[in-house]
Amino acid sequence: MRHFSTRKLTTLALLATLSLAVYAIESALPPLVPIPGVKLGLANIITLVSLIRFSTQDALYVLLVRILLSALLFGQAVSLLYSLAGGFLCLVGMTLVHMLLQGHFPPLISIFGALCHNVGQLMIALLLTGTPGVLSYLPFLLLSGIVTGLFTGFCAGFMLRYLKPLKAASPLIPEEDDGNSGQSR
Amino acid sequence: MRGLPPYRKNAFILTAMILCISFGSAGFLGLRLWDIRMDSSNGRSVPVADIYQDGSLLMSIPLTRDAEPYTFTVTGDTGGYNEILVTDGQIGILSASCPDKLCIHQGFQRTSLLPIVCLPNRLVIRVHEGESQIPPDAVVY
Repeated sequence: MRHFSTRKLTTLALLATLSLAVYAIESALPPLVPIPGVKLGLANIITLVSLIRFSTQDALYVLLVRILLSALLFGQAVSLLYSLAGGFLCLVGMTLVHMLLQGHFPPLISIFGALCHNVGQLMIALLLTGTPGVLSYLPFLLLSGIVTGLFTGFCAGFMLRYLKPLKAASPLIPEEDDGNSGQSR
Repeated sequence: MRGLPPYRKNAFILTAMILCISFGSAGFLGLRLWDIRMDSSNGRSVPVADIYQDGSLLMSIPLTRDAEPYTFTVTGDTGGYNEILVTDGQIGILSASCPDKLCIHQGFQRTSLLPIVCLPNRLVIRVHEGESQIPPDAVVY
């Protein structure tokens, strides 16, 4: 287990709460397109922000807390499996693209995240239903992933402007050594 | 391209990949739509709906245009159910036990473009163009 500074721990906890709230709001909205798997993925904004501001590991914590809590609060066992597969693949894809882009262009990062997420969920659907016909969703899911990924990426970009790195702490509290400033931009 | 930092080059490559993926899937969908339109315009075949549960074929239903509408219910091992309506050459789900009701929102299908899927109940309804039931007027070899 890593050692978090209090400031970082609270920030990550806030981010996890925020993504859970966003997820709850999104699941209360009626589906935009009547195709399973097509959704905005607003909670991914928070995952992307924690990935860029902190690190992959921290984003993984935020993601896990969000998925487990949302499954407990409003989910069922099946949707937990989908969320886990999609979320993990999404995080892996976003980490790779994030390294390639060195922290620039959040929309590109989240487009690839959304694509990986949708492919992961389709794989689980293929496994669970055992019907190759599910694959005819792939073009729809790829197109929708590009559109929604672009949108959430811009949202993450706006959010990153206001969420400053933790090093720039408020002057009231003396800066403690946290040794994990994450990605510097 | 030489003076650019590597992340910019990568961004160009990734954007090109995204464009390829989007044009590829859009083109594929366009081709499928074209195929289906051609199939339905010659009017020789009756589409058939295959209902799969847990990956095994449960039943095949011909979607004839002038048949009486009827409903039936498919029950899964886990106790979930889907009530299916066949009417006027279309098939769709009327009511279901799943929480999100996405299968109902998918509406009625008469083509093979998009299967109806109920993931909680592991039910897939897939329409395919059946073999031609009306013999051709003449065959030229």
